[in-house]
Amino acid sequence: MSAATPQPYRSELRPGRDGFAQLLHAEWTKFRTVRGWVFGLVAAAVVTVAVGLLGPAGSSFECSGPNGQPCGDHTPPVGPGGEAVSDRFSFVHQPLSGDGSITAEVTSLTGDDAPGVEPWAKAGIILKESTKQGSAYAAMMVTGEHGVRLQHNFTGDTAGPPGAVSPGSPRWLRLTRSGDTFTGSESTDGTKWNVVGTVTLPGLPSTVEGGLFTASPEHVVTTQSFGGAGSEGGSTSATATFDNVGLQGSWPRSAWTGDEVGGQPGGLGQAAGFQQPGGRFTVSGSGDIVPAVAGRGSTSKTIENGLVGVFAGLIAVIVVAALFITAEYRRGLIRTTLAASPRRGRVLAAKAVVLGAVTFVTGLIAAAVSIPLVGALERAKGLNVFPVSALTELRVVAGAAALLAVSAILAMAVGTMVRRSHGAVTLVIVAVVLPYVLAVASVLPTAASQWLLRFTPAAGFAIMQSMPEYSQVLADYTPADGYFPLTPWAGFAVLCGYAVLALGVATFLLRRRDA
Amino acid sequence: MILRDVLHAEWTKLRTLVGTGWLLVAVVVLTTGLSVAAAAATECRGTGCGLDAAKVSLTGITVGQAVVVILAVLTVSGEYGTGMVHVTFAAMPRRATVLAAKALVVSGLVVVAGTVAVLTSVLAGRFILPGNGFTVAHGYRALSLADGPVLRAAAGSVLYLVLIGLLSLGVAAAVRDAAAAIGVVLGLLYLFPIVITVVGDPDWYRRLRQIAPMNAGLSVQATVDLGSLPLSPWAGLGVLTVWAAGGMLAGGLVLRLRDA
Amino acid sequence: MEATIEVSGLRKRFGPTLALDGMTFTLRPGKVTGFVGPNGAGKSTTMRVILGLDAADEGQALIGGKPYRSLRHPLRQVGSLLDAAALQPSRTARNHLLWLAHSQGLGARRVDEVVEQAGLGSVIRRKAGGYSLGMRQRLGIAAALLGDPPMLMLDEPFNGMDPEGIVWMRGFLRSLATQGRAVLVSSHLMSELEDTADQVIVVGRGKVIADTAVADLIAEASGDRVTLRTSGRTQAMTVLARAGATVAATGPETLTVTGLAAERVVAVLGENGVPFSEVSAHRASLEEAYMELTRDAVEFRAATAEESLR
Repeated sequence: MSAATPQPYRSELRPGRDGFAQLLHAEWTKFRTVRGWVFGLVAAAVVTVAVGLLGPAGSSFECSGPNGQPCGDHTPPVGPGGEAVSDRFSFVHQPLSGDGSITAEVTSLTGDDAPGVEPWAKAGIILKESTKQGSAYAAMMVTGEHGVRLQHNFTGDTAGPPGAVSPGSPRWLRLTRSGDTFTGSESTDGTKWNVVGTVTLPGLPSTVEGGLFTASPEHVVTTQSFGGAGSEGGSTSATATFDNVGLQGSWPRSAWTGDEVGGQPGGLGQAAGFQQPGGRFTVSGSGDIVPAVAGRGSTSKTIENGLVGVFAGLIAVIVVAALFITAEYRRGLIRTTLAASPRRGRVLAAKAVVLGAVTFVTGLIAAAVSIPLVGALERAKGLNVFPVSALTELRVVAGAAALLAVSAILAMAVGTMVRRSHGAVTLVIVAVVLPYVLAVASVLPTAASQWLLRFTPAAGFAIMQSMPEYSQVLADYTPADGYFPLTPWAGFAVLCGYAVLALGVATFLLRRRDA
Repeated sequence: MILRDVLHAEWTKLRTLVGTGWLLVAVVVLTTGLSVAAAAATECRGTGCGLDAAKVSLTGITVGQAVVVILAVLTVSGEYGTGMVHVTFAAMPRRATVLAAKALVVSGLVVVAGTVAVLTSVLAGRFILPGNGFTVAHGYRALSLADGPVLRAAAGSVLYLVLIGLLSLGVAAAVRDAAAAIGVVLGLLYLFPIVITVVGDPDWYRRLRQIAPMNAGLSVQATVDLGSLPLSPWAGLGVLTVWAAGGMLAGGLVLRLRDA
Repeated sequence: MEATIEVSGLRKRFGPTLALDGMTFTLRPGKVTGFVGPNGAGKSTTMRVILGLDAADEGQALIGGKPYRSLRHPLRQVGSLLDAAALQPSRTARNHLLWLAHSQGLGARRVDEVVEQAGLGSVIRRKAGGYSLGMRQRLGIAAALLGDPPMLMLDEPFNGMDPEGIVWMRGFLRSLATQGRAVLVSSHLMSELEDTADQVIVVGRGKVIADTAVADLIAEASGDRVTLRTSGRTQAMTVLARAGATVAATGPETLTVTGLAAERVVAVLGENGVPFSEVSAHRASLEEAYMELTRDAVEFRAATAEESLR
C-alpha cells in the first residue's frame, strides 16, 4: 500500500517516574479495587474483636468468703514495677530509720505439711517500705531448695550459695542499708562474710519496716488429660528458726511486732508463728513474695486473652493474602502484571509491602479495639486483668498486627509457589494455626508442645505473650498456660524466618518460571 | 436422570482429576506422620499417667482432616473456578442429586484413604507406645482393634474424616470460592479449641466442648476416663454429624436458589 | 530509541513439543503486520517471549535493541494484548486500567483517554466479569494503548467481536499504523487481516514460512491473469496471441489471458476493434494467497495435520 515508511511514532506523553513507588501504587490499586478482598479484611477485624469477646462472655468470677460472706477485693496488689504481685508472708518487724544493717542466723527452715518444705519456701531478713502489700522491699533469704537469694521488688532475684539450712549447717544473713543502696551478705559462721549482691531501691523513705520473715508458696500438682491439663494445689506453710538477731549502726533495738502481711488484721499471735524465747525467733508463715503468674489456675486474665480472636482474623487474612496472588494466576492476569513490570522480584516485593501494610493496619485496629473492649467486659464481670506496662501493651498490640502482616506475606509467598489458592490457604493455616492448637489443646506432652512452638511458624504467637516467666516462681510455664518456650521477639523471628524463606523461594521461582 | 448415572459421572470427574490421587496419598502420609510423631513424643511415666493410648496414636487425624477438606472443597469449587459447573448442571439439572452424588463419591474416597491412614496410625502406636512406658505394668495393653473401645476409636476416626468431608462439601457449595471455603471449614475446626482455652466459666467450657465440631467429633477417639468427657464418644460424633448435615443443607439450598 | 522489535533465532521446547524452531523476523514502524499461522504454530509463544514472560531456550527478542525485561516503563514501548479474558472479574474495567496506569507512572486522566479511544464509554465502570468477549477485546486494546507506545502486539484481537466491532478494529489498527506505530496482529484466519495488514509473517511449526508485503503476496498468488468477456472470441484470441499472451477459452464468451497486464489487453483489443463487455484482472484474496503459499509447504501441512490430531 504505502511505499514510503512513515516516521516512527513519538509519544507525547510525559515520561513518568520510574521507581518502586509506582509498583506499590499499582499493587495498592489492585488490592483496593476488589471488593471481596477489602471485605475480607474488614471481616478479619470484626471476627478478631467478636471472637475476643467470647472469652469474657464465657468467663465468670464467683467468690465466697468464709461463712458465705462475699469476699472482698480480689484484685491482686501491684508491685513497684507496676506488675501484679503476690505479697503475703509472716513478718516480725520494727521501724528502722536511716542507715544501718540487720543480721540474723537462720538455723532451720522446715515445711509444716506432708510433702516437706516447698522448693521456694523462704525465710530471712527483709527491709520493706511498709507492711502494705506490694510495697518496695529488699530481702536476704534462705530457700527450701534454691539456696541463699537476694531478692527485691518482687522481680529482682540474685542467687547466692546453694544448699539448705539445718541446725548443723546454719546460714548467717545480713542486709545493710546505705541511702538507697542495699547490700546483701551471707556467712556460714558469722565472721567471714561474702557479699551476694547490691540492689538500689530509689525513693524508699528513710524509715522502713525491717525484720524477719517466713513464707511458703502453694503446692502445685499438674495433671494432664485431654481438653487441657489441670492444676491442683493447696496452701502450705513453713517454719524457720532465727538466732543471733542483731541490729547495727544507727538502728536501736526496740520491740518486735508480728504481722501477717496480706493476711487478716490482728497480727501474728504467739501461737500463730512468732515466738521469741531467749532471743531465738521461730517464725511460721504461708504465702509468697513474688510477681503474679498467669495460667490456667489464675483467676486473673492476661491482656492477650482478649486477643484470642486474632486466630480467627488470621485465617481470614491468610485467605485474602493467598488470593491476592493466586487470583492472578487463575485468570492469567499475572502475565499482564509481569508485562507491565518485568522486574519480577520487585513485583513480589511490592505485593508483600502492600499486603503487609494493609493487614498490619487491620490487625492494629482490631487489636487496639479488642484489648480495651474485652478488658472492660472482663472488669464488668468482676474479673481482674493483669496490669502490664504501656510498652508491653504496645508490643502485644503491634505484635498481633505484625503477626497478621507476616502471616499474610507468608501466605502470599506460598501462593506464588503453589499458584493455587486451596493449596496455599491450607498449607499456611495448617503450618501456623494447627501447631498452636496441638500445643495448647491436645494430648501432646509439654515437651512436644514446646517443640512445636519453638520450630513451627506458630512460634510467632509468642509476640502476644504479656506475662514474663520468672525463674524464682514455681508454676506451670506451659503453652496451655500462655507461656511460650521462646521469648516474644525470638518467637516472632521464627515466623519471620519462615516468611523470608518462603518469599525467597517464591522470588526464585517467579523469576525462573515462564509466566 | 437417576442417581446412579450422576454418581458415575461424578466419579469419573473426580477420578480423572490429577490431584485426587495425590490428595488421598497426602491424607494417609500426613495422618500417619503426625500420629507417629505424637506417639514417639508421648511417654507414660507410671501407673495412672492418665494418657489415652488410642487417642495419642490417632493424633494425626487433626492434620489429615485438612487434606480431606481440600479434596471435598475442590470437587465443588474446582468446577466454579473453571466454569465447568455450567456443563455439569446442563448435563445434570437436578442440583441436589449432583450434590448427593458428589457427597457419595467423596465419602467413598475418604473411607478408603481414612481407613488406610487410621490402620497405619494404630499399627504405629501398637509398636511405638510400649517402648514409651505404655506397658502392661503401667496398665496399658498393646493397641489392638480386637479391643472394643480401640475399634470404636479407629472406626470413629474414619467416620470423623467422612463427616469433615461432607461438612466441607456443603460449605464449598454455599461459599463457592475454594480459598474462602477452606478458610471457613478450617476456622470452624481449629478456632474452637483455641477459644475454649480462654473461657473460664465451667458451664461455657463444657458447652463449647460439646458443640465444637473438632472437640466433639474427636471425643469418639477417647478410650480412657470417659466419665470426664463433656459428652459420650458416639454422641460427640453425632454432634459433628449435625454440623455436616447443616453444612450440606446450606450448600444444597444455595445450589438450588442461586444461579450457577 | 528505535521503534522496532527484532526476533532472531528463537527456539523453545515445551516437553516433547518444539514450540519455536528458529523464529526470526523484524517488525517495522508505520505498518500493520499480520502474524498468521494455524493454531499451535508458535504465535502466542513468540509474543510471550518478546514480552519477557517466557524464556527462550535459544535466540533473543529485542525491543529497540534491548531485552524487554530491561525496559523501565515497558508499556511506554510496547503495548500488548495477549489474553482478553485475563481479568479479575470482580474489579471494574476502569480500575483494571487504573492499576496498569499506576504501574507505568501514569494517572487516571490517561485512563480516561484510552477508554475514549477504545470506544468503551459508559460501561467502563462495570465489573470486568460481566464483559462480553468483544468488550474485553476493546478493554485489552485500551490497556495496550495506556503507555501510548510506538509498538503494539495484539494476539487474536478479532476473536469474539461482532461485525461492527471487526470493522472498527480494522480501521483502528490502520489509524495506529498511520501514526507511525508498528502494529503486530496475530490471527489464525488470514481473511481477518484483509485490507488491514501491510505486511504478513506466515508461521508454521515454530518458524517463519513467509515474511512479505501483502501486495506482493497477492500479486504473486494472482499471477497476471485477466478474465475477458467478448462476443468476438476467435478474433480476440488471435490478436492477443499475437501480442504475446497465452489465451485459453474458459466458456462460450469468456477467455482467460495470462502474460499480459489488463491495461495492455484493453489496448490491444481497442487497437484491433474487437468488442468486449468486461475485462477484469483477477485478484487473489489474502486467504487464497495464504493457501497458495502453504500449499508449497508440504512439511508444514503435514505438521498441521499432525498437530490437529493431538
